[in-house]
Amino acid sequence: MNPTWGIVAVAAVSITTLVIGAFGLRLSRTTSDFYVASRSVSPGLNGSAISGEYLSAASFLGVAGLILVGGADMLWYPIGWTVGYLLLLVFVAAPLRRSGAYTIPDFAQSRLQSLAARRVSMVVVVGIGWLYLMPQFQGAGLTLQTVLDAPRWVGTVLVAAIVTINISLGGMRSITFVQAFQYWLKLTALLVPLMFLLLAWSRDGEPHPVQSQAWLEPLGVATGEHLYSVYAVILATFLGTMGLPHVVVRFYTNPDGRAARRTTLIVLLLISAFYLLPTFYGVLGRIYASDLIAAGRADTVALELPGRLIAGTGGELLTAMITAGAFAAFLSTSSGVTMAISGVVGQAIAAQRPAKGRISSITALRLASVLCISVPLVLALNADSVPIANSVVFAFTLAASTFSPLLILGIWWRGLTAIGAIAGLIGGGIAAATAPFVTLVSDLDGWAGTLLSQPAIWSVPIGFSLMIFGSLLTRSTRPTNVGRTMVRLHTPERVNVDRRY
Amino acid sequence: MSKPQSPDPAEPGPGQRVRVTSSQATAPAHVRRTVGEEIDEATGVGEVYMRSLIRSQFRAAVSVTVTVLLTIASLPLVFAALPGLNDVRVGPIPLPWVVLGAGVYPAVIALGWLYIRYAERAERSFAALVEPRRSKRPRR
Repeated sequence: MNPTWGIVAVAAVSITTLVIGAFGLRLSRTTSDFYVASRSVSPGLNGSAISGEYLSAASFLGVAGLILVGGADMLWYPIGWTVGYLLLLVFVAAPLRRSGAYTIPDFAQSRLQSLAARRVSMVVVVGIGWLYLMPQFQGAGLTLQTVLDAPRWVGTVLVAAIVTINISLGGMRSITFVQAFQYWLKLTALLVPLMFLLLAWSRDGEPHPVQSQAWLEPLGVATGEHLYSVYAVILATFLGTMGLPHVVVRFYTNPDGRAARRTTLIVLLLISAFYLLPTFYGVLGRIYASDLIAAGRADTVALELPGRLIAGTGGELLTAMITAGAFAAFLSTSSGVTMAISGVVGQAIAAQRPAKGRISSITALRLASVLCISVPLVLALNADSVPIANSVVFAFTLAASTFSPLLILGIWWRGLTAIGAIAGLIGGGIAAATAPFVTLVSDLDGWAGTLLSQPAIWSVPIGFSLMIFGSLLTRSTRPTNVGRTMVRLHTPERVNVDRRY
Repeated sequence: MSKPQSPDPAEPGPGQRVRVTSSQATAPAHVRRTVGEEIDEATGVGEVYMRSLIRSQFRAAVSVTVTVLLTIASLPLVFAALPGLNDVRVGPIPLPWVVLGAGVYPAVIALGWLYIRYAERAERSFAALVEPRRSKRPRR
């Protein structure tokens, strides 16, 4: 295939991202600008930005690939990522904005009055971020390999480099513009080619996919193991969304709690619109590109389809368009995640002894972004590739087993104590972290393999129950100002209590 | 020398009791406090207001969750229990694909919209309770 258009597409997205980033630089002056866009982003812009950041390689390429291979049961992944936002809206959105902290570790510290809880949360934030970044980088490598015949490391390194430059330039403010732009780019890049593909399909006589019961019917082979897997995905994605560091940090950019809720509703609309599309790619792939399953490259189905259905330059242009969208997905999600975890690490660096008072918090943020991106980069270059969407679920499972109980209990239950929270974070975290190791390292089959590689069903209850029982046992260490915190979290801003900044 | 009618306050005898009185003979004027002050000072009354707000918001969140559990999250069990549903078609497409691929999303958005309406109403009535005069003004 002629790679010219692909190169043009990748270059265009990369340059646009950097230019918009530089445009944001002129606006970003203070530390608050840098971290949370000075909390002044309107719901419409912020909603686009959150959706742009949220729709990662897993959504853009991974879902279509999963549906190509697994059929109806795989529709649960996008559903889970959407319902996750609904639960985020009802349990977390407004109170988290009102808590007035920048990051989850900030929230843990101010709610629990404990530096130890802050430190443990920081470790978990970094863990989730790395698990999330690795598949993004791998997806980028896979995309450039498919479109340009480039070696895998090219795409991986390219994305990592652009993200690092972009964050060093402008921080969160520029990211907000970039992300908002990238949502619309991603939607267009799947929608327009799909129109042409469906046209080509109907000219072809509207063939039906080769049907196998297991593919066509949800739970077509309804074994207990199968049902367990579906519910593991449901639990991890429903609860995991609220604990993703790059999603949570976005809520601090809303002006108040009410705007935080409205933003979330806009996000629900935007991501729902997007998730209608990958299904079509998966089904069309079943008809025209089922050889990709055996080749182990199902994730590239969206990129392969235009070339197979539409001959000549038309197909190449459409492929280039999807490539641009995929690249936008890698860039936006990686920027968001890197920003979130390096914000956390940057705060820690700036507060540590050798650096304390010597470097500004913005320098610390820049330093941290380089640190935070290098580890998943090395992992992505060396690890075997797991299907993107599966691999992202590891991050969701970890978030669902740690931060989801921390946020839900911390916001709604006065009884949560620092020791209980730490016990839950560590216990739930270890339980959830078994999954990637078991999947990447060992070859367990049967029930043991299923239980260990998809641990959400048991690791989420471990996280919750350790926090609840740990707190009940240490009831006397309840923070004394919990009543005050509750007032702050739950009263609307326009009511004149607990006057804050 | 006769004993004085009342003991001289300047020199009370050893072990003798002293009557202590206040020069203020009237009860203090009743201090009117706003609900906002009650909440800020974490008095019993303030606590009651806060707890009722939190409880009503939490009830809304739990209602949404239970609705999701009973509808969306129960679908795998429904499909496992009723394999006949796969033969029901909407046009050329099997019903489960329509439900999972598209039908779920409007339901999620509707739930979100209903929740926001409820939560904002709860906050408005809380605001009216705490600051009756301010909230009568037209909202921005």
